[in-house]
Amino acid sequence: MPHINIKKGHNIRIAGKPADGVIDLNYSETVALLPTDFKGVKPKVMIKEGEEVKIGSPLFFDKKNPDIKWASPASGKIKNITFGPRRVLQKIEISSSKTPDYIEYKKYKKSEIINLKREEVLTTILDANIFPMFRQRPFNIIPDPQIIPRDIFVSAINTAPHSVDLESVIEKNIEKFQAGIDALNALSTGRVYLTSKSGSVVSSIENTEFYTISGPHPAGNIGIQIHHIAHIRPGDIIWAINAQDVIAIGNLFQNGIYDSNRVITLAGPCVQQPGHFRVSTGAQISSIIGKQLTEDEPRIISGDVLTGRVSGLDDYLSFYDYSINVISDNIKREFVGMLYPGSSKTRYSLTPVFLSLGKILFPFNAAQNGNHRAVVPINAWERVLPMDILPNELYRSILAEDIEEMEKLGLIECDDEDFALCSFACPSKTDVAGVIRSGLDMLQAEV
Amino acid sequence: MNWLLKFLLKIKPNFEEGQKLHWLYPVYEATETILFSTDEKTSTAPHIRDSIDIKRVMILVVVTLIPCYIFGAINVGYQNAQAMGIVRSWIENLFYGGKVIIPIIAVTFIIGGFWELLFSIVRKHEISEGFLVTCALIPLTMPPSIPLWQLAIATTFGIVIGKEIFGGVGMNIFNPALTARAFIFFSYPSKISGDAVWLIGPDGYSGATALSVSASTKSADAVALLDGVTQFDYSWMNLVMGWIPGSIGETNKIIILIAAIALMIMRLISWRVILGAVSGLFAMSYIGMLIAPYSDNSMLSIPPHYHLVMGSFAFGITFMATEPVTGSHTDTGRLIYGFLIGVLTVIIRSINPAYPEGVMLAILLMNAFASLIDYFVVRANISNRMARYAR
Repeated sequence: MPHINIKKGHNIRIAGKPADGVIDLNYSETVALLPTDFKGVKPKVMIKEGEEVKIGSPLFFDKKNPDIKWASPASGKIKNITFGPRRVLQKIEISSSKTPDYIEYKKYKKSEIINLKREEVLTTILDANIFPMFRQRPFNIIPDPQIIPRDIFVSAINTAPHSVDLESVIEKNIEKFQAGIDALNALSTGRVYLTSKSGSVVSSIENTEFYTISGPHPAGNIGIQIHHIAHIRPGDIIWAINAQDVIAIGNLFQNGIYDSNRVITLAGPCVQQPGHFRVSTGAQISSIIGKQLTEDEPRIISGDVLTGRVSGLDDYLSFYDYSINVISDNIKREFVGMLYPGSSKTRYSLTPVFLSLGKILFPFNAAQNGNHRAVVPINAWERVLPMDILPNELYRSILAEDIEEMEKLGLIECDDEDFALCSFACPSKTDVAGVIRSGLDMLQAEV
Repeated sequence: MNWLLKFLLKIKPNFEEGQKLHWLYPVYEATETILFSTDEKTSTAPHIRDSIDIKRVMILVVVTLIPCYIFGAINVGYQNAQAMGIVRSWIENLFYGGKVIIPIIAVTFIIGGFWELLFSIVRKHEISEGFLVTCALIPLTMPPSIPLWQLAIATTFGIVIGKEIFGGVGMNIFNPALTARAFIFFSYPSKISGDAVWLIGPDGYSGATALSVSASTKSADAVALLDGVTQFDYSWMNLVMGWIPGSIGETNKIIILIAAIALMIMRLISWRVILGAVSGLFAMSYIGMLIAPYSDNSMLSIPPHYHLVMGSFAFGITFMATEPVTGSHTDTGRLIYGFLIGVLTVIIRSINPAYPEGVMLAILLMNAFASLIDYFVVRANISNRMARYAR
């Protein structure tokens, strides 16, 4: 089987590594779906406060594409519907019932799934209201279901700091995963690409183009894998889907229900017992964290430390997040910090400028570790970006709003999550990923 | 040190927007962030950041320059003792040299700091750490005999024209320290053109530098000419060890090599520029040696390993050519940029006897062409991508 070795990149040695073994936590009193998680969607609510819903009932749809609806991740009563400015739907909260109540759909036999037509598979997924699981590259948005994608990519390898050990999750659900992959095969005229570490159980999965990947983060990012396996050309549409969502799709076809539970990690330097937990999609963060915080001024992040967003205990796990990380928001100011030599115990850098004390895990906090300055190109970005892209030139073309040049420099193949490490490593504290995002927004508006 | 931080934070409101002392905010900001690491937090993803920042980068470069200063001071004393015909211990040499170079350093930092501060206040931006490196480099490129008023004018020119009018560190086109050096080179050629040695000795004492010795006699072998000098020891080994008259920081090649290796390990400078420059120097001087038998220019007969240790080549490529902002920004570009610096250095040294020191001019010239090199590298990258897209 083909192997791709990613050389550039960096695995950040951050403390609070999640333990193996999944702990069931699948009851959260309130569960919510946040339409704000979905960029470019115009949500229109389909239920009223106080209404009873089942797992899988549609909660809202996209006015731009009414076929795409969002399934309720829990059964129970609609507790609250929150609107923001100009009555934009912000949040739908559900009081979850103790026993889950599922909407039931048609079940398929194992041998039937691979022979299904595109229309059948698509209708099943759209009717189960879980189509938003798919993400389209370029732009990392929800795809138009009617446009047939060139290929579909599934990554069974996570390299982001403290991300879910996908391999063990797939191992436990290998039949559902296979069923999901079989269903995906009908959706594209091209191939279904699957990637994983070498020597993994995932290699036994059939009906895919299987690639093994090795190397540091961002080797597990789907954008990096697409770039190295079958890069995006202008006009190409590629669908990507998280491996856990493939399991959910397999479950839908095999057992006729939408199982909204997922395995996430709760990790980071400020968590007592970091580990893997099975929770409901949209679970309240306080129900996941419980009494695990070790810090008075924590920063709770829904998602990983490189790409997540700041959340509070009363907030909810985002639809696309599989990790909650907690770091300290309380930073100490060092006297003559700029002259103090520093060791790897007190300072962390991927450039070897501090005295190294072995490979210890480092208790990161929210400190920016410096002030914003003009870019001094010492190759800090290039060293962590495993793509044939000139990040410096791309960055400048975006600042200059030169859309033609951005396209030529390969922006269409990029996503902000692939540039998060560039922002991490930048000595000038430039928000490289944010600039890439704004470039993608400009390009998307143009297309 | 908590009391100091408390005091600083207490007086901070006086420098905020709308207050009387707001115009001094860059001074306050610089004081606070030099004394205490910043309290700035990340506001968006990524929520954690690497510990390296521009302050750290600049300070580390300055630290690698300290050995050059120490050796420079000892050598200034040693050269003086040689010229006076006396014997001194190395510690006495250090003190003698220290007395000469400390005023030079002081003038550079005071004048450089003044301009940086003035521009920060007028332009309302933070004081940039880059001026520390610029001001640390300028004295090392100067002869010990430089009049301080000339140094002050040169520093002003280097900081203002070389950097500030472009918007400060990160936006300049030419290396500010070399701009200062070039200014003095063309404005006061009697002091610094580089054909006569620079040292502090008795009135009227003079001699020829290694480079001008090689240029002095026509149709001769340069190495034989160098070995024939009795006033100074111009053997290859001594050119490496640096007990020769020259600018303050450039003579000892061992110290420069260690600094270069340290900076490369810390990934603060690009090995590509240095590799390119050394290969350019070797390539061009081999070509020179091939032409030498057909020419009466004895400079052409200098072998590459001599070129490497003569003049300021080693210092220039380690600390000036590798400056990330003014050099090429792409990896391929850096190789080409470095290679052309090496080639041009030899051409300027050999063909133009009026400018025996070529590396300064070569780097400044290539600074001007760095963006052009990048332009072609970027176009090549784009056409590769277009070919891939078309498939």
